[in-house]
Amino acid sequence: MAGLTEIRDEQLLRMMQGGDEDAFTTLYRRRQGGIYRFVLEMSGSAPLAEDVTQEVFMALIRDSRGYDPSRGSLGAYLLGMARHHALRFLKRDRTYVSILPTRDGSRDSGDFTPLSPENPHSEMSRRESIHLVQQAILSLPEHYREAVVLCDLNETSYEDAASVLGCSVGTVRSRLHRGRALLIQKLRGGEKVEAGNKAIDPSRCLA
Amino acid sequence: MNCKDFESMIHEIVSRRAADKTKQLEALEHAGHCLWCALRLDEETKLTESLQGFARTLYVQRAPARVEEALVQAFRERTLGAAAPRFVLAAKRLWRRLSWGLVFAATVAAAWLVVLRTSSVHLRSSAPPRQVASNPPLASSEPSPAKQEQPFVPGQSERQVKAQSQGVQSQVAARSSDEPGAPPSRNRNPGASVLDHRQPDSGAQAASQGRAERAALDESANEVTTDFIPLGTCDDSECMDEAMLVRVTLPADALLAFGLPMDNDYATEELVQADVALGSDGVPLAIRFVN
Repeated sequence: MAGLTEIRDEQLLRMMQGGDEDAFTTLYRRRQGGIYRFVLEMSGSAPLAEDVTQEVFMALIRDSRGYDPSRGSLGAYLLGMARHHALRFLKRDRTYVSILPTRDGSRDSGDFTPLSPENPHSEMSRRESIHLVQQAILSLPEHYREAVVLCDLNETSYEDAASVLGCSVGTVRSRLHRGRALLIQKLRGGEKVEAGNKAIDPSRCLA
Repeated sequence: MNCKDFESMIHEIVSRRAADKTKQLEALEHAGHCLWCALRLDEETKLTESLQGFARTLYVQRAPARVEEALVQAFRERTLGAAAPRFVLAAKRLWRRLSWGLVFAATVAAAWLVVLRTSSVHLRSSAPPRQVASNPPLASSEPSPAKQEQPFVPGQSERQVKAQSQGVQSQVAARSSDEPGAPPSRNRNPGASVLDHRQPDSGAQAASQGRAERAALDESANEVTTDFIPLGTCDDSECMDEAMLVRVTLPADALLAFGLPMDNDYATEELVQADVALGSDGVPLAIRFVN
């Protein structure tokens, strides 16, 4: 299986279609983290991320012929399926569960390292900051959240993000820009985005 | 570069995605002397750092091992299920076709049986005995021997065929002239055959009828008859096609009336048997004597 890790996704898929279990396992291990994290960041729910990850690969086992290489990479195809399932679950449930420790110390999900003994205050501040970012991301509208999660958190290229979201690269950039502006506004705390945008209105400076 | 251009590429600058290094340097130079763009760049940089910090905390997150186990198990089942039974699938397909063929054959056979049964019932019900249709006078004349005598009277006086109403015991043994092989029961007793046709046979009736038929056959095998002697009412053979025979008993001197010799042993009181061929209208067409 060591040699399989260097094989491209599309080749692994073909081997998997031929019944190669090692190829399937390699492909799964390569792609499951990104899918799991994408759903986790989109929903904040570890059980949902687990379910969606399983659903995506079950669909790939059942019918892997649905993948068209001309329409994008296999990773983008799998993320697109994950997005589809996640949105379906989110529309059904409409309940988000925090993956970060709550104020009372309990955790919904996630494996977090204990506070650093050298500088516990700094560590607590960092965690507080992460929690705020998480809440801000979860509060974004879905189409902005998707762009932020894909491009900023998972460092997906604009092209792949466009393939996953089923839109143009320009739309991805626009959504990302708007989503980031909303995040800044939320992290600043209560200030309206329009006011913030006015504060940094590009027309103010023509130099 | 102005602030608008700076804003349009600020995300590429902070995420280091800008492909054009020259433009990136220009943007940073612009932020160096533009306060608003410098603040904007600072905001975006902090946001990016926060997002990257959040992403790092999640970077270790993976689906649990049980998901992989379940998927590998599903993959094995799918692979085995898809690869192994090609011949099983072919056999199933063949069996499905065979079963359809069997169903079709059974349907055709059932339809054929129904058609055969229907046609036989139809033939039995739509083909009444010809004698019954052609013998209403005989059937109606049977109860009275005197009436049986009547057909001989008109136009037969010159032949002196006299049937003594007292001595005549008409043994109605009608026998169709065009159906010599027909069952004797119909010929011997047309009235009974009418009843048989109208009423369903019972077991006792069938048994007695069978015995009568066998007796009639034995009797007819031992009989010696003369040729038919035409009575002058039938000039062609067509009228004989629908004729039926009626067995009558006549005085022995009737033989003389038809020009036949009569043994002296016969007394005038003796009776002889004769078959009279009756037309469909009841007119006697010919006669023969039976010994």
